[in-house]
Amino acid sequence: MITLLKNAKVIDPAHNKDGVVQDIYIRDGRIIAKPADSEKIGQIYDLNGKIVMAGAIDMHSHIGGGKVNIARMLLPEYQAMRKLEEPEAHICGANCSHHATPNTTDTGMRYIEMGYTAAFEPAILAVNARQAHMEMGDTPMIDKGGYAMLGNDDYLLRLLSQNADQKTINDYVAWTLHATQTIGIKVVNPGGISAFKFNERRQDLDQLHSYYNITPRRILQALSRAVNEIGIAKPLHVHCNNLGVAGNFQTTLDTMGASDGLPMHLTHIQFHSYGTEGDKKFSSAAANIAEAINNNKHITADVGQILFGQTVTASGDNMMQHLNAKVANPKKSVIMDIECDAGCGVVPFKYRDENYVNALQWAIGLEVFLSVDDPWRVFLTTDHPNGAPFTSYPHLIRLLMDKSFRNDAFDKLNLDAQAMSNLKSLDREYSLYEIVTMTRSAPAKLIGLQDRGHLGVGAAADITVYTDQADKEAMFAKPDLVFKDGELVVKEGKVVKVVWGATHTAKPAFDNSVEKDIKQYFDRYHTMQMQNFKISNDHIAEDGRNHVINHAQG
Amino acid sequence: MTNQEHIMHTCPACGLLCDDITGEAIAKQQFSCGKAAKFYARTTSGAQPQVGGKNVPLEDAVKAAAGLLNQAEAPLVAGSSTDVHGARALVNLAQHTGAAMTHLNASSTLRNMKVLQHRGWQTTTLTEVRNRADVILMIGTDVVTHNARFFERVVWVNDAMFTEPAARKVIYLGGDKLNTKPGVAPDGRAPEVIECASEHLPEVMATLRALVMGKPVTADTVAGVAVSRLKAVAETLKAAQYATLVWVSKDLHYDHAELTIENITETVVALNQKSRAMGLSLGGSDGDTSVNYAHTWLNGVIIDAPEWESHDAVVWVNSYSPDAMPPAGTSPVIILGAPDSKFETAPAVFIPVATPGLDGNGQQFRVDGSVTLPLIAAKPSDLPTLTQVVAMIQAQLQGDLA
Repeated sequence: MITLLKNAKVIDPAHNKDGVVQDIYIRDGRIIAKPADSEKIGQIYDLNGKIVMAGAIDMHSHIGGGKVNIARMLLPEYQAMRKLEEPEAHICGANCSHHATPNTTDTGMRYIEMGYTAAFEPAILAVNARQAHMEMGDTPMIDKGGYAMLGNDDYLLRLLSQNADQKTINDYVAWTLHATQTIGIKVVNPGGISAFKFNERRQDLDQLHSYYNITPRRILQALSRAVNEIGIAKPLHVHCNNLGVAGNFQTTLDTMGASDGLPMHLTHIQFHSYGTEGDKKFSSAAANIAEAINNNKHITADVGQILFGQTVTASGDNMMQHLNAKVANPKKSVIMDIECDAGCGVVPFKYRDENYVNALQWAIGLEVFLSVDDPWRVFLTTDHPNGAPFTSYPHLIRLLMDKSFRNDAFDKLNLDAQAMSNLKSLDREYSLYEIVTMTRSAPAKLIGLQDRGHLGVGAAADITVYTDQADKEAMFAKPDLVFKDGELVVKEGKVVKVVWGATHTAKPAFDNSVEKDIKQYFDRYHTMQMQNFKISNDHIAEDGRNHVINHAQG
Repeated sequence: MTNQEHIMHTCPACGLLCDDITGEAIAKQQFSCGKAAKFYARTTSGAQPQVGGKNVPLEDAVKAAAGLLNQAEAPLVAGSSTDVHGARALVNLAQHTGAAMTHLNASSTLRNMKVLQHRGWQTTTLTEVRNRADVILMIGTDVVTHNARFFERVVWVNDAMFTEPAARKVIYLGGDKLNTKPGVAPDGRAPEVIECASEHLPEVMATLRALVMGKPVTADTVAGVAVSRLKAVAETLKAAQYATLVWVSKDLHYDHAELTIENITETVVALNQKSRAMGLSLGGSDGDTSVNYAHTWLNGVIIDAPEWESHDAVVWVNSYSPDAMPPAGTSPVIILGAPDSKFETAPAVFIPVATPGLDGNGQQFRVDGSVTLPLIAAKPSDLPTLTQVVAMIQAQLQGDLA
């Protein structure tokens, strides 16, 4: 059956379309060229010039896996009972969630209601990947995928300390992508999570790891090169050393140079853009960071904007989260060392606009957004739930698109923080085209989803229809229609049909002889069999809701 | 050569989930663990669905179960001894029937969860302990009663990356009738055993925490334990490269034992200010971790322990504990569980389902929470899975409504 979206005002930066009125034809979940007149059109939606764009893609959101579930367990006070309507009530209990710790059903529902059709879990511990996929498999409506964490696993650190050749590292990285059913590689506080296990409390970029005698810079070099040489699209996803530390902007700038010019993505860069100026020794270094992003074309970044209110931070960075636990609100936290693979730290936070540091963090994030020139290289994230729940994206979009709205919010901040920010001097207002770029086209390109994030012929029919409104928060909070793989799933901001989405992966070719040494390592040191570390397509598809879509690379 | 010979099975008989069980060991019934031996010796063939104690076709049993659930005003899903897939099915069933849901081990699980939800904790996992721990403090437990192969697989191993396994210091602090023999090092070195009955662990553990935190302790003895010995333990923990403090919630079964657990976890927090230490909660099974975790991600909240009296029908799942039955007097009972279930009074409905890891496949969480392992049927049978049976019941319920 062919579905026709008539008179769509298309914004599709991948095809340089900015408000072109056209018809879109859909068949079997894909966008097709205008069919022959003889072909029957099954369904027609006359959009009368409503704004049409691809489904949004959240390229960094903690939606599944150990630390997310720990956050849910840790914070029963966030939970509330809610009366749900069909069809959501059909798959979700009445026990519903604070938006910082949504259950899996809630996650999928709230995403699709905003016009998001995919989200990527950015910190899958390889050893915990099975759990992450189980949770993502139970997340309806949207497509999923993840980045596997390397760079604190003892296997890689041993390889590096033994001066293993790059080919061995490449094969191990590719093997990990296959084993964990992920689409990218992430490194969190390179070497730092491991160093914490040896009782180190900070790990600087050029500081030798106390046991392995290698630097984080070496880890970044090896991994960025591996990712590049095995040919996956997604650049190495980097959570820099020194998260949240005043003065850490220098580490961030130095990190940009650590890949020797190879592509690298710096994540939640807001948390890594802090200076030490002023009475409080905490200042914005957003200008330095934005300038460096503008000048270094191999660098992309997502912001990790904070927004005020209660949330919870869930990170693989147990070294820094152990320090942050002192300011937990409510006062409790979970810190874990995990399987000689990585770690995690879950610390609840309440960001307050009257607090100097929080207010400045808010401003720093926006300063970065507004000072980076190229919307293809800066991504809209709150590092859900670390900076704020993903449900606050419409609000964030309005802050970017509406200067007076932004300035009104700025005027309410802690006065000392206002004095330390140049936000009000930034006149930029993002255009719709730029918002669509940073939430659709750019993430699809970055992750290597060739058939998502755009509306060209052959693309998956993940499509969002909005009514243009002056209030962009209202506009983006409630699309008129959302199509997932060609099916109408949301009408007037409400889910009308439950679908389950798929899991996107990258499985580059590699030399499987690397497995011999990996198996030996497992047999010698691990408490599980290597075989059980690997997740099959069948496991992803179990219980009939999910399936794997592998993306050919290169 | 068949594949079957080379598959390593994962044993779900306890929370350790040993995944080195060969097909040959199962065939010849050769195990170093009594729980595994008992688990793999179970026979699952020949069980038929029953209604009121009489064999019936599966469809009839499903109809009867749906009928009872339809009539019930406040059903309860209990036992819940299953794997992740079974847990998903049960959460779904509970949602659709308005049932409360609990687990065989809810009381020990909730003891830990109270601590987590009050203060959080700092914990580690088995492979970290295997490779790093130089001091292991066992508090109120011998572990082996629950996880027989703990010392074999985690402590007295041949190789570790960052410590000499045979040189590890093992200390038992309190507990009742402990088997401390597995704590003897390979070279015959005995563990340190500090005797104290479980009921005195609250004050002994509080004292140890105070000593680790550097608080003044004026008493010479606490509950019969010399404070000087506890001081020495505190110094050992502080000097350790990676101290591991182990507890088993099930072994701390006195009133307000969660406060003892919190004293353990807060001792770890205090140690981590200057050195490295981590907690390790062991024991666990009947899929308790899996069910609690899946319940949490599906519902946003942990498993509950509702009162039995307030429910008028019970769905009982006992896949890993065929002997386990609901409290006497509970009625009506719908068992969706072990084909070798042992009941004195026939339940209203009995539907045998495949046991993940025995005669069905599945996935299960290990007790330390981060690792999930696939379960492969060791003796495949034709029994339906819990997921299939629950789906049939739900289809019937929807049909009844229509």
